[in-house]
Amino acid sequence: MRIWARLIGPRGAVWCEMVLDTGSSKTVVDERLLARMGYNLLEAQPIVIATASGRTEASIVTVRQLIALGMEATNLPVLAMPLWQSLGVDGLLGMDFLRRRNLFCNFGKGILLTLPFARNFLHRCQLVTHLFAAL
Amino acid sequence: MTERKPEPIEEIRKRFKDEWLLIKVTKHDKNGFPIEGILLLHTADREAVYEALEAAFKQGEQELLTCFAGPLVPEGWEVVLGAVVTL
Repeated sequence: MRIWARLIGPRGAVWCEMVLDTGSSKTVVDERLLARMGYNLLEAQPIVIATASGRTEASIVTVRQLIALGMEATNLPVLAMPLWQSLGVDGLLGMDFLRRRNLFCNFGKGILLTLPFARNFLHRCQLVTHLFAAL
Repeated sequence: MTERKPEPIEEIRKRFKDEWLLIKVTKHDKNGFPIEGILLLHTADREAVYEALEAAFKQGEQELLTCFAGPLVPEGWEVVLGAVVTL
């Protein structure tokens, strides 16, 4: 599932498409895009990544702002690594970003809904009305 | 390879199937999503789009859009993503 995301970098703002990836613990952005946006990858912290088929390496870059799915994250550490050329997205939205709200998918209707965590009983009732409409 | 006329982003995507696009955003919908822009580059080379993006920023552009006007992966392929950070 591809989702529009807005990234802010030292040189400006970029809208790009990212994949919703609940199997990824961290959000990933193509390292070439981050470099062209003005982020300094040479000073980024290297890190080891475990994938389903083995291990690889990436760097951690703190993105000034990432907006997607109605959520906004500032100074978000993301994994900078090269994404495969044939993968038609610029990044993966991982659990570090997604867990900021509740996420509901209705695959039958093609609805993806994010809702804030309930603050109290009344708020929970309000949220249920949104959920009901998406069922 | 360049055009200088604002047009709906979805129409640009339909016209340049299976290419990477770089678009200067000129209009948003009520939710803030880009809906119209000026096509700056279309190419099969993703790196070329990133290069052009940097050049556009250096020329003063402030809001750009990049996307692939094709499927997530080539037809017939399946996708397995996911990555776990080990400290």
